[in-house]
Amino acid sequence: MNLLQQIVNGVILGHAYALIAIGWTVLLGVARLVNFGHGQMYMLGAFVTWWAFARLGLPYPAAILVAIGGGIAVGLAVQAVMMRLTLEQNLVSIMIITLGFGHVLRGAAALVFGAQPQVLETPPSLIDLEIAGAWVTAQDLLIVAVAIVVFALLRLVVEGGRVGRTARMVAEDPKLAELAGIDVRRVYLGVFAFEGAAVALAAALVAPRTPILTAIGFEEVIVTFVVVVLGGIGSVTGSYLAGLGLGLFNALFGGFVSPAYTTAASFAVLTAVLVLRPGGLATRGGGR
Amino acid sequence: MSAAAPVLEAESLRVAYGGNQALDLPRLALGAGELVGVVGANGAGKSTLVNALLGWSRGRPRVSGRVRLDGEDISALPTHERVRRGLLLVPEGGAVFARLTVTENLAASADRATGRAYTEDEVFALFPRLRERLHHTGGQLSGGERQMLAIARALRLGPRALVLDEPSIGLAPRLVVSVLETVRRLVDERGLSVLLVEQNVRAAIEVVDRLVLIERGRVLAEGPVAAMRDDPRIIQAYLGEGAA
Amino acid sequence: MSGALRSLDARAEASRRAAGWRALALAAAAAALYLGPALLGGRVLSACVVLAIFAVMAYGLDLVLSDLGEVSLAHTVFFAAGAYAASMLATRAGWGGWATLLGALAAAALIAAFLGLITLRLREFVFSLVTYAAAVVAAAIAHNWEFLGGSDGIVGVPPLDLSVGPLRFAAGNDAELWPVAFALLLATLWLVARFRRSRLGTLAVMSHLNPRLATMSGVDVGRVRLAVLVLSAPVTGAAGWLYAYQRAYVGPDLFETYFLVLMLTAVVIIGRRLLFGPLLGTALILGQERFLSFGGDVDAIVLGGALIVVLAFFPGGLVGLWRAVMARAS
Repeated sequence: MNLLQQIVNGVILGHAYALIAIGWTVLLGVARLVNFGHGQMYMLGAFVTWWAFARLGLPYPAAILVAIGGGIAVGLAVQAVMMRLTLEQNLVSIMIITLGFGHVLRGAAALVFGAQPQVLETPPSLIDLEIAGAWVTAQDLLIVAVAIVVFALLRLVVEGGRVGRTARMVAEDPKLAELAGIDVRRVYLGVFAFEGAAVALAAALVAPRTPILTAIGFEEVIVTFVVVVLGGIGSVTGSYLAGLGLGLFNALFGGFVSPAYTTAASFAVLTAVLVLRPGGLATRGGGR
Repeated sequence: MSAAAPVLEAESLRVAYGGNQALDLPRLALGAGELVGVVGANGAGKSTLVNALLGWSRGRPRVSGRVRLDGEDISALPTHERVRRGLLLVPEGGAVFARLTVTENLAASADRATGRAYTEDEVFALFPRLRERLHHTGGQLSGGERQMLAIARALRLGPRALVLDEPSIGLAPRLVVSVLETVRRLVDERGLSVLLVEQNVRAAIEVVDRLVLIERGRVLAEGPVAAMRDDPRIIQAYLGEGAA
Repeated sequence: MSGALRSLDARAEASRRAAGWRALALAAAAAALYLGPALLGGRVLSACVVLAIFAVMAYGLDLVLSDLGEVSLAHTVFFAAGAYAASMLATRAGWGGWATLLGALAAAALIAAFLGLITLRLREFVFSLVTYAAAVVAAAIAHNWEFLGGSDGIVGVPPLDLSVGPLRFAAGNDAELWPVAFALLLATLWLVARFRRSRLGTLAVMSHLNPRLATMSGVDVGRVRLAVLVLSAPVTGAAGWLYAYQRAYVGPDLFETYFLVLMLTAVVIIGRRLLFGPLLGTALILGQERFLSFGGDVDAIVLGGALIVVLAFFPGGLVGLWRAVMARAS
């Protein structure tokens, strides 16, 4: 394994991680919500893309849109069920409910898509390219490009403009936001719809790299945790950098130490961060 | 009491927390261009009243009765809809968004401004101080500046009726006078209708047209400020405040 | 005066007698609950052994969720730790049942202490996040580490040998395991009831309901959480210990979210902080799966759906729902 190849892999992986985590980042930053069904929503996004692409025969971009639509629908459904708990900020029940949703999604996906592993052979994943001695696929480049676009757009939205302002007001004090004329319920629904759309988009782009099973999604959750905690909870720019950092770390660890234990290594990183700077977690930007 | 139809009107407004009756108000009316003071001791039910008018609460009260804005029954509307119709509340402590700058705080109101909204220049004419603090965040402001920003935010939204909850709390006496005088000017010059909820009777009595004294969730006395000034119950309220 | 004293005496006597009757009634109920499945045998007995094991597993989580008000998602790890410790010590070191029980309890407590220490200063969801991550990582390790049997797990767990001195006792099938499972369940119920009356139990509820007040009253909230977590883990670990013998096989499937969702549902479905809540909850879930199953995938939807519906619409559980219905009727 050469170092350059691993670094290139790490950069690609990092963008994939950042993209997988971005929905959670916004969810946490704006609505102070967590979603333990995140991994299963990723799994569902991957399967819906596969189904629309391989079974319905839609072109890949259309299949991505179908997956995003499905992700939005699931996100809205989850938030609608939890609305009362969200307004009460009953985090304990919310966490358990999202876990329950994850379980339901997994059961439903197994029922609909079967227990067979599937491979999502998208057109760009079949194109191999050589960049300065390192091999990548067009799919990899697509992931990097989309991640950069999504993060740039999000940053633009959060920094200026009405939507970002509204999000930051709700993030800071939802009750006060009501007095500013903001329909907080709609913001919460919107945020969860974004979470669903973002994780489905990530799945549609990243899942072609590996076989998909209804049991996947757990590693993605760990990655998301680490990115969110490392990047500073709710921070868009922080998430991007944290995703990139974790991607490089995992690629190097997987390439030179042990590919089987990368998840464990990520957890070690998470633990180290938590133990070394627990105070850093208190900072909660309103989405910046 | 104004003869014309009131801008804001509450009827049989009752609020209970659990089995505890916190407010029982047969009628309360705020006329156009009127400044009404609701006074009472701590825990008399003033904040409960304010929150019930807005349908806003951090707890889970049971509210019954009618609230009308310009004759329209808004009792069933959620808080943000009442706000969009022009019933605005500046909550206790001049709540502003601490992480947003002054500019952003005002822009947030402008995002949802109605036809009645004050322009930025009008707001800065009232509170010139804010113009010097544009790039500070809400959290960096002094108590008086926060109160000014909170009122300015409401004006930028476009008030039909403005409810001020304890604007004097935590402010130096000089600032209290200045804030209340600004409110009085808005009423006189712009015809704004204001419900001023205050524990500081002494300060409130100087600016309001009419006083409503409440205790334990009920109206104890009400009337034009001239008649109420010497009411023994009002004096009592003064003294209670002095003792505290 | 003397009349008042006499009536006090009479009341004390009456309450003593009532307590006596209650103990007797409880003993009779326990005997009936024990003998019923033992006499019925077959599928019912097997289901009851697993029910007792899973209920004990859920009681561990119950202490953390209901009393402490925190969501631990690492209890599958404690469960698996108990099972792995038992099976490894029994197959590789040839230890007897009592020794493997100690090993299982220690393994669960150690992992809990580690997780509790790294999350000591963290609030709200970060605790849950770390426990969830720990569960996923533990599953990955169990899959990959040869020492733990990798994805094959550990097979050939011998019959449970609980001999004490000359008294011989070995359990190799469900009928023989039933007394052990039942005793473990009783011991757990006793422990939970005692915990709720203990100082730690009171502190846990205080830290849960009003952490600020608790802190100002000199309670170290972080320490209380750590103590309750470390106490709860061996309870769930003990369930894992018995499960290892019941299945005679231990593998990475013990980390499945199924166990986690089962525990959570069992704790909330009847109503929180009710002594028999998790037991009845587990009975409902296993009853559905064993006797009214729609197939694994649909069962997963039913279980997860039940969890969602209860928390979103009946936060007081079935007991809370029942009380609300009765209150409306009267």
